[in-house]
Amino acid sequence: MRWNTSIFGIILSLLLLSGHGVLFAQEQEEDDITFEMKLSKEKLGINERLRVEFAMNKDGDNFNPPAFDGFRVVMGPSQSISSSWINGKRSFSKSYSYILKPTVQGSFNIGQATIEIDGETYKTLPRKVQITAAVDNPNAPKSADDVADENLHLVAEVSKGSPYLNEAVTVVYKLFISSNISVTNFRPLDSPKYNNFWSQDIPVTKYNTVNETYQGQPYRSVILKRVVLYPQKSGKLEIEPLSLEIYVDVPTNRRDFFGGRIYTQASKTVSAGKRTLNVQPLPEAGKPADFSGAEGQIEFGVTTSKTSLNASESLQARVEVSGKGNLKLFQLPEPELPSALEVYEPEFDESVRTTLSGMQGKVANNYTIVPSFRGRYPIPNISFSYFDPKTKTYKTLRSDEITIDVLEGPTDGTQISNSTQGRQQIAVPTGRQFHFIKTQTNLISQGSNLFFGSKRFFWWLFGPLVFIPLILFIRKQKQEKDADIEGNRLRKANRLARKYLSAAKKQLENPDGFYVALEKALHNYLKAKLKIETSEFSKERITTLLSDRKVNEITISEFIALLQSCEMARYSPITTVQMAEDYQKSSEVISKMDKQL
Amino acid sequence: MKMKGLVYIVLACCSLSAFGQGEVLFQKATEAYNNGEYEKAIDYYENVLKTGKHSSELYFNLGNCHYKLDAIGPSIYYYEKALLLNPGDQETQNNLGFAQNMRLDAIEEMPKTAMARLHDSIVLFFTADQWSYLAIITMFLFVLGFIIYYVLSSATSKRFAFIIANVALIICILSIALAYLAHNDQRATNPAIIFEREIAVTSEPNDRSERVFALHEGTKVNILESLDDWSKIKIADGQTGWVPSGSLRVIKDF
Repeated sequence: MRWNTSIFGIILSLLLLSGHGVLFAQEQEEDDITFEMKLSKEKLGINERLRVEFAMNKDGDNFNPPAFDGFRVVMGPSQSISSSWINGKRSFSKSYSYILKPTVQGSFNIGQATIEIDGETYKTLPRKVQITAAVDNPNAPKSADDVADENLHLVAEVSKGSPYLNEAVTVVYKLFISSNISVTNFRPLDSPKYNNFWSQDIPVTKYNTVNETYQGQPYRSVILKRVVLYPQKSGKLEIEPLSLEIYVDVPTNRRDFFGGRIYTQASKTVSAGKRTLNVQPLPEAGKPADFSGAEGQIEFGVTTSKTSLNASESLQARVEVSGKGNLKLFQLPEPELPSALEVYEPEFDESVRTTLSGMQGKVANNYTIVPSFRGRYPIPNISFSYFDPKTKTYKTLRSDEITIDVLEGPTDGTQISNSTQGRQQIAVPTGRQFHFIKTQTNLISQGSNLFFGSKRFFWWLFGPLVFIPLILFIRKQKQEKDADIEGNRLRKANRLARKYLSAAKKQLENPDGFYVALEKALHNYLKAKLKIETSEFSKERITTLLSDRKVNEITISEFIALLQSCEMARYSPITTVQMAEDYQKSSEVISKMDKQL
Repeated sequence: MKMKGLVYIVLACCSLSAFGQGEVLFQKATEAYNNGEYEKAIDYYENVLKTGKHSSELYFNLGNCHYKLDAIGPSIYYYEKALLLNPGDQETQNNLGFAQNMRLDAIEEMPKTAMARLHDSIVLFFTADQWSYLAIITMFLFVLGFIIYYVLSSATSKRFAFIIANVALIICILSIALAYLAHNDQRATNPAIIFEREIAVTSEPNDRSERVFALHEGTKVNILESLDDWSKIKIADGQTGWVPSGSLRVIKDF
């Protein structure tokens, strides 16, 4: 009887597995007519036997068994009928059973049997039976291993079948234990390696038993292992199975002296089976340029410990990302700092808790900054982008702009430029103060007012050169003029001589008249030139006067000689030749003198 | 009442014309700056520039306003302009240092060869204009010396004047040559300041090409050539690349 129930149980579960819950439902209602086929095994060795039973809950006629292809009927059909009244309710069952022996290996269908009940034809569902090679122990009852197999299930529960890249996925390994066996111990055989995942194990410290239903049956479940995974690659990713060796106590059919069941020990290797995750790549649309792989619900900020300080003091700048997401799996953005600041390598600060829902907490980079000179140093805002898998959008956060005021600083100082920190620093030394604006100005017109090459430049450059020929010309002119004056004077002297000597010239035939006229002419000339009275004439006086006027001695003596010859001519006879000579001489002397006066 | 208003307007016009519009705006800007209204001051200064006038002081003050507003690019830009009009101004150089310390880029200057240093120390000792003034002064000296030489008759004076004239002529010719070189130098450099917060310098003048390096606001670059909307730039350490022209502002734009 027990054997029957266990077979029935198997069949039932198989029916459930194949999804034919209808029959089960019919079974529940007593008034419905059922007609079904029961198999002792679905898989048997060629040296084993198969028992097929066609059972109905109401008597019928014209039973028509199927053709048992691949089997030989060893026995049957044998009929059994049972009818009982319990609490005024009648239960009836009738069955036809066959014992079959397989003839060849392979997979066979046992076809439909028909029967007429109350004038209607009922049919069973065809069933598949697999015949394997001969087994060692034919027709043996189920071993403890088989029982353990049926009553132990290791299942990997994955929180999301198709997560985004870098989205947290939790895998929980649960062991389902049916109520009729008990687990004494377990040992992991093979810890799965999560290739292409960033994984964090959440250790299970206490194994709590929870009653749960697994495949429609009540089970006790224990969580053995919890892992948070962050897929690092898109596409189909496999999670390797977890294998455990489990030691179980399996009940046997035997009972001890007191009627209690005798349990046998069995060890069983169970594995959770491979799971495949379909990891979706992050959407390309709207992906920010600075996206570095952060995902989750994240907050971001940059703060400084001070905003005003003196040069060569230090301050801390903190770039912090907090919230829920793959906090350990992305690079923190680097702040862009003015090159004049000395910045040291950042200190990484992390406080992240990993729970079943993923990582939670904050990560931060602490930069130590030392300004060298006074001034204002604005730290521009930096952006940080992340993907929010809940809203399936990218979000960008911006930090606040911060200005560091350096109040005091060295006034001397050389340009500092060092690259020891891996970051080039160039600071321009600044003076004691930032100068105020200029209050006075001289506005000039815009436009290219370059002096070099302009017209004005050339005028100024070559203008002076004009002076050279100008001066030369002027000088030459003056010289020419000077030369002209000489000629004039000469001409004037000649004219004078002619004027004064013309009277004398007329008297050239007459010696007395000639010398009188000549003397008169000489005296007139001197009167005109020296502006003196005739009465003052004496040779000495003339000599001194002419000497005073810087007249040449020879000319003076010639002049005096002329005057003497004039006097001489009064007392001595003079020839015409002499007269002509004297005339000539006086003309020369006058013109000579005129030059010198 | 109406009459009175008119009189005021006429008076205001008179005072404006007396001082010149630019100077009035300049004074207003000074007041605004001293009250901490830097944007207002910038407005006034820009209005002065719109009248077609400028000065090194104006640019210096604009630089100060932008510095106070933490605008790195404009402040360096205007200080550089001020220095262009008035090279060697101590206050401008000092405040430019303050502004330069706000920059993000740390570009080390390429060391110069001995020849280049010599060239710079001689040619760039004066600006082209200063060399021109020197040339004119020496030209006057030469002419003067020549005339004295020509006019004087005393041998010693003549000799002295001759030497002066010759030396002046040599210096004059040299100055013109150096002015020309300095002028060429000035023309060859077309400095500009980067106004974008960050730009990628690419190897070709298009959007597809490879990014060579990045520059940040306030960095001084030298424009070598332009193609469409792109400019080829060279930075102090000798690297070259292309950037969109819109991200720069040329200092010599007047």
